[in-house]
Amino acid sequence: MPVAEWLAALEHSGIGEAMRESWFPYVEGTHVLALALSVGTIVWFDLRLVGAAMRTRPVSEIYQGLKPWMLTGFAVMFATGALLFVAHATKVYESQVFRAKAALLLLAGVNMLVFHLTIDRRRAAWNEMPVPPMAARVAGLLSLLLWLSVIAAGRMLAYDL
Amino acid sequence: MVWEALQPVVNWIDASAFARWLGQSEARIAALFVLHLVGLTLWLGGTLVVGLRLLGSGVRSGPVANLSRELAPWRTAGLTLALVSGSLIFTGGAVSYFEGAWFRRKMALLLMALVFNFTWFRTVANAREGQFGEWTNRVTAGVALLLWLGVGAAGRAIAFF
Repeated sequence: MPVAEWLAALEHSGIGEAMRESWFPYVEGTHVLALALSVGTIVWFDLRLVGAAMRTRPVSEIYQGLKPWMLTGFAVMFATGALLFVAHATKVYESQVFRAKAALLLLAGVNMLVFHLTIDRRRAAWNEMPVPPMAARVAGLLSLLLWLSVIAAGRMLAYDL
Repeated sequence: MVWEALQPVVNWIDASAFARWLGQSEARIAALFVLHLVGLTLWLGGTLVVGLRLLGSGVRSGPVANLSRELAPWRTAGLTLALVSGSLIFTGGAVSYFEGAWFRRKMALLLMALVFNFTWFRTVANAREGQFGEWTNRVTAGVALLLWLGVGAAGRAIAFF
């Protein structure tokens, strides 16, 4: 099966070997600490969408202010996450917990996309509302729940390898 | 020597029925680790948003004190969750955690970070506009963020070194 060969090649590459021999603790540590930058910032945007924090500030201010940090955080997450995957590619690929985490990440992405393509298009109309309209609140709540589930799945993955 | 003075307390915790019950189940400890990560994501993310404001970035409009007050309930909830779950994780393996060099470093850094947060950082973050100069704000934020980064890094080191 080509996937199995591909995974084995990844795992036995120079990067895979270096990961297992020495980089792993540092890459994994960076992955965990970058939670503060990625999920740690998106959570505040979600809390604003739900109407639970910073209600007197325009939604745009939170979005514009945190966006570069959020994007940096997620870039670090994906880069370190990919390296962690390479280190134990075959096992990780086969892990049910990893598959659940990947599915949750996909859902979080879809939720974000739907938000941007629908209610967020009309943001000007509700930008300054202390409690945004239902559709925005649902998107915020879903995002919060999905990211918390991603964290939980990520932590459980350590037990599944 | 402070550590030696604490040893009897640690032994007592370790021998308690509650500690044995906690340490028995991997699932219980795993759930506590998830809560620990969720708590620190909220706390570190919130501290980052206040710190960025002091550095002149992120969510910037209005006085720092307003932002600090708006984030306070969620930051406090995050810190409480991280401290309670962390204490319970420790209880589940008190004697062996207590022996670890990185655990001791983490606790020393945590103490410094908490004292700094509740004395100087809080004073600067809640000050009225213009009470402290731009550079006082920046250095305060930098020191706080570095201390928390140190706590996190030492925490990961417990698992690896």
